[in-house]
Amino acid sequence: MSVAIVGIGRTEYTRRSGRTPRAMAVEASRAAIADAGLTPGDVDGMVTFHVNDSCQPTEVAWGLGVDQLSWANAVLGGGNLVADQIATAAAVIEAGLCRAVIVYRSLNGRSGHRLGTMEGPIEVAGEWQFDAPASWLVPPQWFAMWARRHQHVYGSTCEDLGQIAVQQRAHAVPNEHAMMRTPMTMEDYLAGRWINEPFRVYDCTAEVDGAVAILVAGEDIAVTCRQSPVWLLGSANSQGGSGWSAWDDPTAMYARTAGPQLWNRTGLRPGDMDLACMYDCFTYTVMATMEGFGLCEPGQVGPFFAEGRATYGGDVVINPHGGLLSEGYIHGLNHHFEAALQLRGQAGTRQVQDANLALVTAGGGPYGGANIYSREHP
Amino acid sequence: MTTTSDPGAVTRAPVPVPDADSAGFWESTRDGVLSIDRCTQCRRWQHPPLEACRHCGQPTRFEPVSGRGEVFSFIVVRQPTVPGHEPPYVVGLVELAEQSGIRLTGVVRAPVDAVHIGMPVEVRLMPVGGGEFRGPEFVPVSR
Ligand SMILES: [Zn+2]
Repeated sequence: MSVAIVGIGRTEYTRRSGRTPRAMAVEASRAAIADAGLTPGDVDGMVTFHVNDSCQPTEVAWGLGVDQLSWANAVLGGGNLVADQIATAAAVIEAGLCRAVIVYRSLNGRSGHRLGTMEGPIEVAGEWQFDAPASWLVPPQWFAMWARRHQHVYGSTCEDLGQIAVQQRAHAVPNEHAMMRTPMTMEDYLAGRWINEPFRVYDCTAEVDGAVAILVAGEDIAVTCRQSPVWLLGSANSQGGSGWSAWDDPTAMYARTAGPQLWNRTGLRPGDMDLACMYDCFTYTVMATMEGFGLCEPGQVGPFFAEGRATYGGDVVINPHGGLLSEGYIHGLNHHFEAALQLRGQAGTRQVQDANLALVTAGGGPYGGANIYSREHP
Repeated sequence: MTTTSDPGAVTRAPVPVPDADSAGFWESTRDGVLSIDRCTQCRRWQHPPLEACRHCGQPTRFEPVSGRGEVFSFIVVRQPTVPGHEPPYVVGLVELAEQSGIRLTGVVRAPVDAVHIGMPVEVRLMPVGGGEFRGPEFVPVSR
């Protein structure tokens, strides 16, 4: 591919923005356009994904002073679509349908609708109706159910999950944009209140209000931009159909198929990655997808973190910004922001030295995908 | 039935909305029988139900099952984020004896520390929401 991330933008992340998702999306988009040294009129495509609150691409374009888009798409779906949206934007550009596309996500994920909770009266139609009697209807329950199975099959432990949470918090401490910056020990983790065993509060993402925008363009524009392009090397998706109860093996997620496909397509190996932004709606998502993408043997993710292999000086820096767990849950699009920042060498005190290749994953359970980005032109 | 200090909690519990594919499941539970969708040709069970078999495309119908199974995985809900039950309680993902991979979720009526993966259980159909339908719960049984 010869499409790159040419601009990145975001709002501050807060617990109560007091703003509309549209206003935040416009701010993040303006920031991404300015970062690239372009003008709003250069943007001819806008896409987003949503399962809770969001705003339509046409509304955001209007706020940017753009009255016409060649491509405006809002897909119903979660974090599993993030890598796909950027890769699809690249494909649209390569097909000649657009020249510069903004992928954005804007939500009041904390002060507005929170994905982990529901209030009555609740009527449940469609695929989740069978889970209504047990009130098994939200992601912190689904992922905990899968994590328990992993513990049964591989002997992984709550302390293994805790290693992920503790390391990511350590990464977030110097990150001024992160929501959760107080250092955390394993004792702190284990003292966290139970949500759904085997998950404690620190196994769950930090819900926030905010927006991120990623501006993608072809080589013709990329070479003229203010920032060094961050090239998209490859992408793979595996969107499964069996849902949270019928998936054959909850110890493995979508990554078991997306991983091999990604390495085959790019000719790269897990060991080539300098950093990996692993989608971390929950700690267990990091565990299962690191195994699926081949960063670690099944059942060994806890020791991998405990031995310092997931941080600076180790094998690969996992979530140098603190991830969704500690930086905040902009539905995974902030992972792509971080990867671009790192590959541009602009991550400040948390810069991964000589960062050239980044794996960025999106989604969990049966559904997800991943992109690989490169500092060097492919 | 769950006991609760909040009398409204049970009525605010999530209520399933049947559709043309699932109506047979819910009508059967209302009659006190757990039935699962099954292919009339290849005889495989499937859940969630669909009017045609996902494997061979032939028509399906609901057939009664034993209601026996094993806990495939479980969680202990300690913080109530969805109304319906009084924490702490166990939600089990139960694999039915009829076929590998056919699983139902349900509250497991057992002490939270007693539940384990592989535990044999049996279904109990309990009123849900306003009581028009019944939904599965599970109780431990000896093998
Ligand atoms: Zn069939």
